[in-house]
Amino acid sequence: MSDIPGMSENYESAPKSNEAPLWSKKKAGPVVTVLVPTFNRRRYLAGALASVVRQSYRNLQIIVINDGGEDVSDIVNSFGDERLMFIDRKENRGKAHSLNEALSRAKGKYVAYLDDDDLYYPNHIETLVDALENKSDCQVAYSDLYKVYCKVCPDGSRKVLSKVVEISRDFDRFFMLYYNHVLHVSLMHRKDLLEKTGLYNEDINVLIDWDMTRRLVFFSDFHHVPEITGEFYQPDGDCDRISVQCRKKEKEYTRNILTIRTTRPAKPWTKLGDMSIIFITERLNKQAGTTLGSIWQRTFYPYEVYMPLPTADFEKLDTDMPNIIPVLVNPLFSGAERIDAALARCEGEYIAIVPSGFPMREFWVEDSLHALVNSSVNNEGFELEDSTDRLWAVVVRKNDLQYARRRFPNLSVRESLNASGIVIRRLQPEEIPFQFDQLLEKARSAEKNGNWSKAAEMFEYITAHHENELWMKTLAAKASFRAGGHIRAAELSREVNRQRPTVDTLLLEAKVKREEKDFNSAIKLLEKAEQILEGKELQWT
Amino acid sequence: MDIIENNVDEQHDSTQHYEVLQELGDCYTSVGNYTQAQQYYEKAAVLSPDEAGPYVGLGVVALQKDLLDDAEIAFRVACRLDANCAKAYAGFAMIAQERADYKRAFEMYLKSLELDTDNLIALLGLFQASCQMGSFAQVTHYLEMYLNMHPGDISVMFPLAALYMKDGRFEESKKILLDLLSLDENHKDAANLLEEAEHSLAQAKQGTQTGARML
Repeated sequence: MSDIPGMSENYESAPKSNEAPLWSKKKAGPVVTVLVPTFNRRRYLAGALASVVRQSYRNLQIIVINDGGEDVSDIVNSFGDERLMFIDRKENRGKAHSLNEALSRAKGKYVAYLDDDDLYYPNHIETLVDALENKSDCQVAYSDLYKVYCKVCPDGSRKVLSKVVEISRDFDRFFMLYYNHVLHVSLMHRKDLLEKTGLYNEDINVLIDWDMTRRLVFFSDFHHVPEITGEFYQPDGDCDRISVQCRKKEKEYTRNILTIRTTRPAKPWTKLGDMSIIFITERLNKQAGTTLGSIWQRTFYPYEVYMPLPTADFEKLDTDMPNIIPVLVNPLFSGAERIDAALARCEGEYIAIVPSGFPMREFWVEDSLHALVNSSVNNEGFELEDSTDRLWAVVVRKNDLQYARRRFPNLSVRESLNASGIVIRRLQPEEIPFQFDQLLEKARSAEKNGNWSKAAEMFEYITAHHENELWMKTLAAKASFRAGGHIRAAELSREVNRQRPTVDTLLLEAKVKREEKDFNSAIKLLEKAEQILEGKELQWT
Repeated sequence: MDIIENNVDEQHDSTQHYEVLQELGDCYTSVGNYTQAQQYYEKAAVLSPDEAGPYVGLGVVALQKDLLDDAEIAFRVACRLDANCAKAYAGFAMIAQERADYKRAFEMYLKSLELDTDNLIALLGLFQASCQMGSFAQVTHYLEMYLNMHPGDISVMFPLAALYMKDGRFEESKKILLDLLSLDENHKDAANLLEEAEHSLAQAKQGTQTGARML
């Protein structure tokens, strides 16, 4: 079993900058800065760098940042490539700091990322530059990657066990606020976006990638290129990784998540409306504290909490919760007057009014907010799913609420909205967000339980009714095969292979060909799969 | 590479590369390219040293090359890795058959079928060994079981019909042969056997009628 090509010491064979290969005659596009932070992975850095140096797109600035790890200068220097810049820091300051340090030297119009143990395919940069320059107005693009499960041998070489496209999801802004569906190694964005998002947050130690992609969604759509342009590695049973270790510290992990969710880049946000939560409580008691804490824990959409309270209550307020805006009110104010006082201060395009004691589940406000954001109907708002007459909660557009309060200041908020013709309704089932993800979770659960027929049926349903077709067809093919539907599995695999062959679908189609005794066709498919597994995609053509 | 899901202990499918290599070995064996088949089986064995499959493949390749000792070693390794490896026992049986040790061949085929009643090679091997030994006692049962699982498998229908004929079960033999001929009307051996079955049935009927008249 050979090592993965490009991963061993043969990196010296990478083209030197003074050579004039064919691709260099292509018209130069904008400069792309590729950031390669590294820490104690000498064994794999050479392969990673070789995969950047060998990119078909030549107009690169490649910045390698040693984050206080073992010396790698010999590896970097061995490439003899003037596009390579090496920052050799002796002190370990973490990945976020390394990226920020490199970004301060970045000269490219675009920025791309590569971890020191991962690999680009030769067309990676070219594909993403083409997407950003010619195929969309987006300022961010991403492709798909193979996740490579591998076994690490005593000599450090890696034996590939499987290559799987685990995620190939079209961009979904709302979902990105909740969950990272874009792999950082597959990401390219305009560098000037960082002036709006800010740099990497050096106060968090996991999910720093998601923290950045989450901030990018405030300012740009993401263009998804469903091509596989690289791979990232998951060593079998590797629990020593920094990111894995950090995740196992639950308290620390939660702190990071909450920090990320409450991070609000400076305005104006060009792609996202802000939400102001007006929190209504008579007094600052234990129940109010619990509800506030739950808002902090459960809300993933960007928000600020406006708290209309008398001075005496504010003096008692003792919380680390960020994004709380105190609104001092007269202790004799009614509930409506308190809301009016807060409303006058609110900056969000959307206003959620929430009473103390309101039950907080996951998506407590985002369910209805998602419907409101996507609603093309004016004069419409949503009563939250768990709202009752006693604990009435609503999310509306700020303009509508201001209009209602101006017209009927003496009525209750609910009555004034009604009197102004603002229709407050409940969510319809088809308006529930993340339907794709919920179906996907159910299908995956069926898989886990060994109910392959059900899983196959659900994946096929998702394929027909939702986005992410290639990904879903692949999952449907795998489940169909396991359910005994070999012919259907072959059909689905063939459809995927025509557009974007993957190891999984090539293998499935080949298995069925073998069953049909069409051995030569099976061999062709299997040899293609074997080429991918052996890393032929990495070899220079 | 960060994603948000905190499920760091999730299991994954780590057999994909092994499967590709094993399938390649099997396909090359099927088209008679034993050199290529051997290379892929050897790669599969290195990648997944605990799997019996590659050693079964290597044993089959050695058998095809008439290297019976090598084949036996490979099947032994397969058995050591998987004590219930039906294909390895079928392999031992084939080696025994080659060595004209029909008794051992019969035992090994039987062992293989006990572990996997769905193994056609072992089933037909058992039939063949039975013919060589002249003993059919246990074969009919396995052929019937297999045919229940794979109705319409011509390769099993014919030997079973032949066994029924031998046991005087003409009606059952005729039924299978008719089914077989509806699937493959050019099956000459089946057509001939059917003729024989119908003849035997007619004779038996005549015998019954004669007996009745005599009564």
